[in-house]
Amino acid sequence: MKPHRVLVAGTITAVALLAAACASTAPSKKSTNDNGDKVFTIGYSQSNNAEPYRAQLNKQLQFFVKKYKNLKLLSITDAHQSSATQVSQVQNFIQQNVDVLIVSPNEPDPLTAPVEAACAKKIPVIILDRSVNTDCYSSFIGGDNVAAGKKAGELAVQALPDGGNVVELQGILSDQPQIDRDKGFREAIAANPKIKIIQHREAKWLKPNATTIMQQWLQQGQKIDLVYGENDPMALGAYLAAAAVHKEKEIKFIGTDGLAIPDGGIRAVQQGQLAGTFVYPTCAQEAADTAEALVTGKQVEHKQTLDITPVTPQNAAELYTKYSSEASG
Amino acid sequence: MSTEVQTPEQDSPPAEELDATSRFRRSLSLLGSLQGYIGLVLIIMIGIITKGQTFWNQENLTNAIGGYAAPGILAVGETLVILTAGIDLSVGSMLGLGSMVSAMLLVRHGMSPIEILPISMAVGALCGFCNGIGTAWLRIQSFVVTLAMLNVIRGVDRQLSDNVSVGTQIVQSNGSLTANSKAFQAYGTPGHKLFSGVNFPIFGKGIYYPVLALIVVVIVFQLLLSKSKLGRHIYAVGGNPTAARLSGINVMAVTITVFTLCGLLAGFAGPIDAAYNASADPLAGTSYELDAIAAVVIGGASLSGGRGTVVGTFVGVLILTFLDNVLGLNSVSDNAQLIIKGLIVIAAVVIQRPDFFRSIVSALRRISIPTRARQSTSTPEES
Repeated sequence: MKPHRVLVAGTITAVALLAAACASTAPSKKSTNDNGDKVFTIGYSQSNNAEPYRAQLNKQLQFFVKKYKNLKLLSITDAHQSSATQVSQVQNFIQQNVDVLIVSPNEPDPLTAPVEAACAKKIPVIILDRSVNTDCYSSFIGGDNVAAGKKAGELAVQALPDGGNVVELQGILSDQPQIDRDKGFREAIAANPKIKIIQHREAKWLKPNATTIMQQWLQQGQKIDLVYGENDPMALGAYLAAAAVHKEKEIKFIGTDGLAIPDGGIRAVQQGQLAGTFVYPTCAQEAADTAEALVTGKQVEHKQTLDITPVTPQNAAELYTKYSSEASG
Repeated sequence: MSTEVQTPEQDSPPAEELDATSRFRRSLSLLGSLQGYIGLVLIIMIGIITKGQTFWNQENLTNAIGGYAAPGILAVGETLVILTAGIDLSVGSMLGLGSMVSAMLLVRHGMSPIEILPISMAVGALCGFCNGIGTAWLRIQSFVVTLAMLNVIRGVDRQLSDNVSVGTQIVQSNGSLTANSKAFQAYGTPGHKLFSGVNFPIFGKGIYYPVLALIVVVIVFQLLLSKSKLGRHIYAVGGNPTAARLSGINVMAVTITVFTLCGLLAGFAGPIDAAYNASADPLAGTSYELDAIAAVVIGGASLSGGRGTVVGTFVGVLILTFLDNVLGLNSVSDNAQLIIKGLIVIAAVVIQRPDFFRSIVSALRRISIPTRARQSTSTPEES
């Protein structure tokens, strides 16, 4: 019988905790701040906190929203990469009648309906990074993955003036960023016909997969002059495999993402592991600015495409300081 | 199969006939004893035929097994659980937590690798103990408990790390790594071997720790299963829990022990994963449980418990490892790899069935008996 009693006690505790948790996340509709101005609530629906890029985005958004005294960011919801979860979380925000809704859609199709619903209720919506299949939002803010791939390709052309063999580590093949970065990269390296992609494989954005694949490529005995990883962890995974057989100096590694964390791409450029990477914009600052503009009744651009910042050994230290301070705020 | 060799030759067939059949039988019985390994042998042969030296060299084999050592160690723990007719879906999360704890102890607390390993193992064992309590004491199905724990442990892991990966290579101001960070690489950063100055008989110069760790774990846990009282109890509980209880075995204690050992092994594999990646990712080990379960089943264990060995699981691990390696070395396209991997796993399981050869041999016999029966009557009907 003991287990039952434990179960009952456990259930009661769990329910109590849940209630407490709900109470704390419910929108405290405190409509004025200390100065007596009106405070606007922002609901932000994140597709997946577990991606370092998105974790960084969350922190930066908190940092930049805090700069505006009249904005209040509710707890960021995490859809754990599930569109269904995200749809219901967005619907929750609509129910709570937030003043601005920010969405990083997990997939375009499923998120279109809730975004239209918000639009119908006259809630201004900001879409980050991935699109939805409707024009009924206030602003789209995103980077350009084709441009990110293109810049990586241009760096490759620059690094291999006499041509050479390139291998490419790809993210999940059906992911839009993968498709775009691949396209841009290939377009750019076409500038030098002597540069050939001799191998490309799907490493699913993951470091250990990239290490294993790179070991196999090295084992095959072909000469590899440059590795392009569609994100930094894959480029660094390949670096580990090359370093194991002391070939890291003969090969150049190019990544993308450029996160300002100790284990990220900018540090890797600083330490000479990567020849270069590209800061894919998190859009956090622009999102906060746009939200402020929306609540104060200013005009905002319907589509904002942000620049890709190249990280070079020269500017790495400076960029690291800049971005990491934004993330720690 | 072994009875075939001892078949009495009372009918004394012609001398050369005897020689041919007995040789045939002997080769059959040899195949029979290798049967559990036939899938592995086939994959290795495909590797050697298609890639020769590029596949069959120390470095490539070390890389292949080393890269798969962490899920391999998980598979050994999973074997114990599956033998008791349970399942542990949380092994990947436990490995991830072990990996993260190891990296954080190294980076934030400056601990040495020797101190980190037992802590990581203890963390894993604690998680496994919770799985055991849920299964044995609260009597929730292990599938449900461990599925829940998969999320709980991943959540703790992500909370600890704040969703940011932790690099294990700490660079000092002079550009070199700190002593602890350097020592930590021995846990499996590619290219870092133990005793790299010494020449070993099979391993060559130095030993790659993940490979060594996997082999030691396999040997220790195979001995535990086949030689110890606990091993016998595990088989008994999995075979028939009621009979086991009636014969005086403490089923609850055995179950909790098994889940705890499984967690302990996941914690043991944690630093290997962190060192292999030179960083601990908050998502490390995601979906490793599927690889681990696949290896156990390919190795011949029954999901309904009571049947299976750790050595079998090791063979399953090697099959998955070499399959990936051979396809990769042959530059098979990614989509084709998925299809081929799936089909070969099914083929491997079928070929390794104990009755597979017997059924083929008896089918062959049925075809050849009419002609042979005229010359000799000694052919046994059934082997």
